[in-house]
Amino acid sequence: MSQDQSKSQELAQNPARRKFLNTTALAGLSGAGLAAGLSLSPAATTTAHAAASDSASKVHLKPGELDEYYGLWSGGHTGDFRVLGIPSGRELLRVPCFTPDALIGWGITNESKAVMGTKPDGSLEFTVGDTHHTHASYKDGNYDGRYAWINDKINSRIARIRLDYFICDKITKLPNVQGFHGIFPDKRDPVDPKVNYTTRVFCGGEFSIPLPNVGTEDHTQYRSLFSCVDAETMEVRWQVLIDGNCDLVATSFDGKLAASNQYNTEMGARFEDMMSAERDSCIFFNIARIEAAVKAGKFKTYGASKVPVVDGTKASNKDPKTALVGYVSVPKNPHGVNASPDGKYFICAGKLSPTATVIELTKVLEWFDGKMADIDKAIVAEVELGLGPLHTAFDGRGNAYTTLFLDSQVVKWNVDAAIKFHAGDTKSQYVVDRLDVHYQPGHINATQSETMFADGKWLAVGCKFSKDRYLPVGPMHAENEQLIDISGEKMVLVADHPVRPEPHDFIMFRRELLSPKPIYQHEEFPLAVTKVEDAGVTRNGNKVTVKMASYAPAFEPREFKLKVGDEVTLILTNLDRIEDLTHGFALPDHNINFIVNPQETKSVTFKADKPGVFWYYCTHFCHALHLEMRGRMIVEA
Amino acid sequence: MHVLRNFLFLITLCLLSPLVLASAYEAKLAPELNTAADLCAYAPCSEVLPGAVRFSTRKGHPPYVEGFDERDNRIGYVMLSTDITDTPAYSGKPIVTLIGMNNEGRFTGIRILKHSEPILLLGIPESALNKFNDQYLGQFTGDKIEVGRTRPEEQVIGVDAISGATVTVVAQNQVIMTSGMAVGRQTGILEPVQRTPARFIERGHKPDWATLVTEGSVRNITVRNEDVGLPPGEEPFIELWFGYLNQPDIGRSVLGELGWQRLMERLKEGEHAIFVIRTAGKESFKGSGFVRGGLYDRILLRQDVDVFTFRDLDYLNLYGVLTPGAPSFNESAIFIIRSTGFSGAYPWKLAFLGNRVDQATGQRSFANFDTDYWLAAEYLEGGRPKIEKAAAPWVRIWRMRALEIGLFAALLVAVAAVYANRDRLTRASTRKNKWPVNAFKYTAWVISIGYVGFYLMAQPSITQVLTWFHALLFKWTWELFLTDPFIFLFWIFIIVTVFLWGRGLFCGWMCPFGSLSELIYKVSGAIGLKRFQFKLSQRMHDRLKWIKYWVFFGLLAVSMFSMGLAEILAEVEPFKTTFLVGVFNRSWPYTLFVAVLLGLSIFMERPFCKYLCPLGAALAMPSTFRWFGLKRKQECSTCHACAAGCGSLAIDRNGRIDHRECMLCLDCMVLYTDDHACPPLAQERKRRQKAGLPLTPIGKDGYYIPITPVSAHAAKPATAGE
Repeated sequence: MSQDQSKSQELAQNPARRKFLNTTALAGLSGAGLAAGLSLSPAATTTAHAAASDSASKVHLKPGELDEYYGLWSGGHTGDFRVLGIPSGRELLRVPCFTPDALIGWGITNESKAVMGTKPDGSLEFTVGDTHHTHASYKDGNYDGRYAWINDKINSRIARIRLDYFICDKITKLPNVQGFHGIFPDKRDPVDPKVNYTTRVFCGGEFSIPLPNVGTEDHTQYRSLFSCVDAETMEVRWQVLIDGNCDLVATSFDGKLAASNQYNTEMGARFEDMMSAERDSCIFFNIARIEAAVKAGKFKTYGASKVPVVDGTKASNKDPKTALVGYVSVPKNPHGVNASPDGKYFICAGKLSPTATVIELTKVLEWFDGKMADIDKAIVAEVELGLGPLHTAFDGRGNAYTTLFLDSQVVKWNVDAAIKFHAGDTKSQYVVDRLDVHYQPGHINATQSETMFADGKWLAVGCKFSKDRYLPVGPMHAENEQLIDISGEKMVLVADHPVRPEPHDFIMFRRELLSPKPIYQHEEFPLAVTKVEDAGVTRNGNKVTVKMASYAPAFEPREFKLKVGDEVTLILTNLDRIEDLTHGFALPDHNINFIVNPQETKSVTFKADKPGVFWYYCTHFCHALHLEMRGRMIVEA
Repeated sequence: MHVLRNFLFLITLCLLSPLVLASAYEAKLAPELNTAADLCAYAPCSEVLPGAVRFSTRKGHPPYVEGFDERDNRIGYVMLSTDITDTPAYSGKPIVTLIGMNNEGRFTGIRILKHSEPILLLGIPESALNKFNDQYLGQFTGDKIEVGRTRPEEQVIGVDAISGATVTVVAQNQVIMTSGMAVGRQTGILEPVQRTPARFIERGHKPDWATLVTEGSVRNITVRNEDVGLPPGEEPFIELWFGYLNQPDIGRSVLGELGWQRLMERLKEGEHAIFVIRTAGKESFKGSGFVRGGLYDRILLRQDVDVFTFRDLDYLNLYGVLTPGAPSFNESAIFIIRSTGFSGAYPWKLAFLGNRVDQATGQRSFANFDTDYWLAAEYLEGGRPKIEKAAAPWVRIWRMRALEIGLFAALLVAVAAVYANRDRLTRASTRKNKWPVNAFKYTAWVISIGYVGFYLMAQPSITQVLTWFHALLFKWTWELFLTDPFIFLFWIFIIVTVFLWGRGLFCGWMCPFGSLSELIYKVSGAIGLKRFQFKLSQRMHDRLKWIKYWVFFGLLAVSMFSMGLAEILAEVEPFKTTFLVGVFNRSWPYTLFVAVLLGLSIFMERPFCKYLCPLGAALAMPSTFRWFGLKRKQECSTCHACAAGCGSLAIDRNGRIDHRECMLCLDCMVLYTDDHACPPLAQERKRRQKAGLPLTPIGKDGYYIPITPVSAHAAKPATAGE
């Protein structure tokens, strides 16, 4: 009998306790007194209520107050990347990457198209995306504010977000991969001690496909690849052919290991096949050995891709001393693999098993060194938490917080106590607290949780269903990102934040870690029109270049003439140097709108295919004479 | 005597009124001049920047305007001196000057809009100052221009001073140069000053807030409601704390290790960060000006003459002050100074610019509230650097005229020393031969007239007494008195000698005009005009001598209402015409007045001193309390020998000397020991000669030293006034 069951029984016998927790949450949400007449234990209620309203007041910032944490959020199948302020939950920015954005002009401007990728005719190759996981670059075990990366599961692309300008600057498509799901940057180099920062990003391929991808129904020929992308060049360095698939990815603080949980070791093509085995696994990658193998030429390539692919199948990695990978077994269809901030453990959540599996990394390394015959000996705990455990976060005080999808709960449990329990100490009480969330949580993360500096302040839970939590707006519901104060022994639910569907994973970290730039620099743009005098029209046959400058409240030139059939490239630089003085450029009937932030340059290419006067105008409010900020494109027949 | 006074009053007023109206003296300026954005709507900008047809609004810190020609090209800048510096001139008030400068930093025009200089009101024509200003036209603002000689070896360009208005022009020079430089720096004409960057000592002592405050590492600006013209309230208008973040101990204390590291990574070489927090008050130090213009218009930093303002791009969020004990705050900022001209080692000040509202008129004006900041020496390698501050105008004047000042001081000391030894001189003299005394006195007169009067123009005046009165009543500033070193020293001499010996040593020996007057009298007598020379009767004299006291009190009373009018009326002194401006440089009434007084001096000893001089009157009163008087004998009460010869008519019927009137000519003291002239002594001499007794030396009491000891009371000397 597990500790969890005993808790459940306790709850069953004492339903008021569950109700009480709920009430606390409500009290925290409203910040108003709800304590009267609800509690069995007035003293306990008062304390919890006081704690709740105290944290609630921290959540509701006064005008002008700033959030203490940045939150980087995935956007799901909106295909974007989002920035939230924590604890307020206010959305500060959406960064388009895989999908077009009408406001920014992402997918409209030549520069964004070049990042997104185009077909030979210049149109976008993809206009849909599905972002799940975003993680940022590390240095010395903490975020260094350089980059964040995010995956596109639909088209197997990885995008990099520059965290100085908060823009997507590179997108790479992973070859021979479908269902690119998990993503995680490394935290240091496995070999070079001087490189104590991120240089690689690992990407897990979830779906298996034929290599090369030919149309065959025989799923036994389908394979998954685990990819390594260079953090700077964004080129794929190498891939590993594995048995089973990849789901989420984690990396160790020493840089030696990366891991991915595998829910389809059966390599089934249908879900009942995928669920047939009682145990699946968590695959560990020995980065140094893989790179040595690539260097030694022990790789293949598939199809048109030139990326070296090493063999990570079980059959080829039987001898631990030379193995590139190791497969640690974990119960049925695990989900989520998370690295504890002390650098000791990876924890896989069971999903279809009510358990979490704690894998000790030193033991995995011992196996790779040939000092431990059975890699499963690296499992130091496998304890029951509740139904549908998915993801785990940490508070830096030895506690883990795991979402229970089916129970609609977050469970707080102590890792050391769980290890003791697993070792046979049945008196060890590893579950510390449980909290109902609303409803059916997926991802979970705590402030600084994925760094060596987990501070145990706030816990955010991405609830996949909001149901009745907000004013109804029709059949589509907002997601419910709930915020929990974890600074005390008990978790206190303090806020519901609605988000547009449908974010998955996210990270939260101290605001001091970022140094965003307030405006752009001309040097970033080779085409920049750096002075008003440089603005003007040049013609080469029917190819016309319009160099334009914006300077509140005018465009320069204020009008220009074209002939029908001209192929026009319009380059616009915003010469304003005032922070936040952004201009927009919209051109009627030509499907063009984009913005230029201060000192930013963008260009668009279009065909002047119809005669007429077309008023281009500023779409981004800029000045008292914003409405007057417009000019004429005169297209003569 | 009333008639005479009224006549003088009228005469001065009539003569001066046109002069007063035409000048910039205390000119009424539009109040908007100091605050309006469009400076040139209130000031004749095009006069100082010829060719300019359009002017911008005020911009920059300190403010200036740009001038554009017909083709809308910028041709230069115009600045208002009081926007830039409040350097006071002689009057203690600034000379409001409009200055034009072209794109190359050369002065194109200087125009005085308002001044309060008394010397320019009366005497020196304003055109002299305009001429002085004209010397700057075409000069480069970056050059070293000083009042005085051109010294090529020191790269100093000299401009000629105005005789008699040195203080005014030294102040004006400073105003013009400071203004030109302040605008030159802002517009890039002048290179910014390069200060040696600070090298910090990291003490690692983790200071708490109280320590930071004690060290001066964080400092405070508090503006109360009443400072900005609002009704007083309990909460201040705004209370700010600020500090310098580049110093590691302070930076780490405020921002924490991580925050400080990240901030330092953001700063480029030579950039600096300060933080500002608002701990009380409703006013914002950020305002909203930066939203449109990008410039924070309520906060700026000054280091010496350099001004550093902050743009929106120089702003960073201050995420919290982690220093233990730090006060809570509700507005905060990190500002970055992006100039290598700034150095953390040198002192600077942070200024909050408030909007002061006049409650009565509703008029708005900018008010500047600043606090000095200088990193503690313990944080700086080698401690705080030595600062060479530009010397105050008065210091420069003392340096400039060191030699003359030395000579003058020596003269004063010599005269005092001579007078202190007067007994030896009077004993050496006789009624027939007074040269042992007169040689010194006449020398003093000549030096006083030539060197002190005409060369140094150090003629003390009643206006100084009036100024002192005001300074004593309202605000005493040493600078005001130090700006004229000769007058300053002269007054020390006067005050000391008045209380030691009475006013006579100044009036009778050292006053340039008095000396001139009596010298004329003496010379006239010597060249045969003696028979025309006369004295008023004692009765007449005793009545008329009070006029000067009336004049003095009249001026004092008028000065309480209007210093300007008192200055005009002080023209009753002929000093300005005689020495400062010159008899031929003034309009005829003044010249005539001097001519009458000096002409009268041919026939009458010191007519002005005796009856009109308000300065003499002012000094006469304290002379009552002099320490050492002239000696008297018992017999003096009946003997009128001295009184008959007293040129000052200061010895009364009873033989008493009136030290308020006495010029310390020492004639009576010569008699005192002259056994041929002093009747009681002559009598004793004759008696002893008859009796065949030896003539013992004459004692201090003015008698022969007795041959045989006598009882003490028998030889008791009597001194005047006792």
